Amino acid sequence: MKVPVLNSRRLPDVIAAAAAAHVSGGRDLWTDPLLSPPSDQTEATWKVLGEVLDPEIPISVVELGLVYGVACSVGIAEIELTFTATACPCMDFIREDIRDRLMQESWIDEVEIHEVWSPPWTNDRITDEGREKLRRLGVGVG
Amino acid sequence: MSPLTDEELKAKVHDGYIVESVEEMTEGYRKSLVVQLTVQADTELMSAPAYWMAARHAPSANTQVSAHAIIQDELAHANIAYRLLEDLGESKEHLVYGREPHEFKHPYGFDQPLDNWAELVVATGFFDRAGITLLSDVHEHTSYGPLKRALIKIGMEENFHLRHGEVWMKRLTEAGGEAREMVQRAVDWMFPMTLEWFGLPDDRKRHSGQLDYKLKGLSNDQLRQVWMASTVPLCERLGLNIPAHYDSATERYVQDYPFPCRYDALEKRWFFDEGEITWESVFERWKARGPMNEIYVEAFRRSRGQVSKWLGAA
Repeated sequence: MKVPVLNSRRLPDVIAAAAAAHVSGGRDLWTDPLLSPPSDQTEATWKVLGEVLDPEIPISVVELGLVYGVACSVGIAEIELTFTATACPCMDFIREDIRDRLMQESWIDEVEIHEVWSPPWTNDRITDEGREKLRRLGVGVG
Repeated sequence: MSPLTDEELKAKVHDGYIVESVEEMTEGYRKSLVVQLTVQADTELMSAPAYWMAARHAPSANTQVSAHAIIQDELAHANIAYRLLEDLGESKEHLVYGREPHEFKHPYGFDQPLDNWAELVVATGFFDRAGITLLSDVHEHTSYGPLKRALIKIGMEENFHLRHGEVWMKRLTEAGGEAREMVQRAVDWMFPMTLEWFGLPDDRKRHSGQLDYKLKGLSNDQLRQVWMASTVPLCERLGLNIPAHYDSATERYVQDYPFPCRYDALEKRWFFDEGEITWESVFERWKARGPMNEIYVEAFRRSRGQVSKWLGAA
């Protein structure tokens, strides 16, 4: 859910800048949907998932290594998804963000999320780009 | 202790100097930082029992896991702030277990009972947002290096709490009926409660050591504006009634009720129709603390005994 912090309202710069930090979940970073269906829907789905950020750490679910597989054809996007822990408190938000972002695309009619627990997620699944972003944020990865 | 005078240190930090240890502080700087960190730590600590009471009303096991994750975060954040206080010569043991209930310095809002799931989600949507408002400002402006670094992790986790509040406020208002009414009732007492939390208006504010020593950047009124700049549009979007609006002529958010005004803790109700009261009477209410203060502090003291027993048995 994107909270329209600023709408059309003018605010002093210092207030507007500080309030921008309140947008949770990174939905303000989502790009506009594609205008026409891509030639490779699976590849395009991966790309779109790259915009869905983890609810806590501002790196994407792909960079975090949560996406085990993607297949998309005839408008049905199937995602194999894991979580960092079986009691992950953010599961609901992650599923919702993935669904909402993908459903913005006109060529996707349905999103099927299949939860996968094997192999279990570990730190090793974080991509190099993800690691680099985390390092810049001051978060150490074992 | 710093070889500098207070005035020299103030000038130095305003030039961008970052203080890293107690040896570089003047006594005035250390005292201001102790007050700031104590408020921060106590606020995180007292949110835990308040949220825990309400988390019992979680609608499912999964949602209770989310609520408990938030509570665990808050306790960890409290621990970080108390740990930083130890570097300044304070005792964590005493701060958590040795003080009387009325000696804690958290905002009055966390002395209130949270009675249902709607109150918990509005608390994460409003109170945690106030926490983010205050702490992001500290993170950006503080001249104390160890706190600046500690706030990176705290900020990320608080954003998840905010998300939790927003998503659940949306779900409950969209469900309509009694669920929406419960959210509205929570908003009715928590919206003014959060605005009061930011403290005295700037034109009444006594001299602030925290601004002089660059322990924060924005004034109370500016912080109130920041909070309203995201909270008011959120509530408007969800169709919730709030006593504030945006004024395009002055380009700021305006409260539509006498500020400050009287609050009845047992009824959880503000008396807008009685007009403005003095800040002195607000301070009296804060100082007397709210209905759950002693119960929450007692819960921590009891848990200390239990934890020692578990550790002893291990």
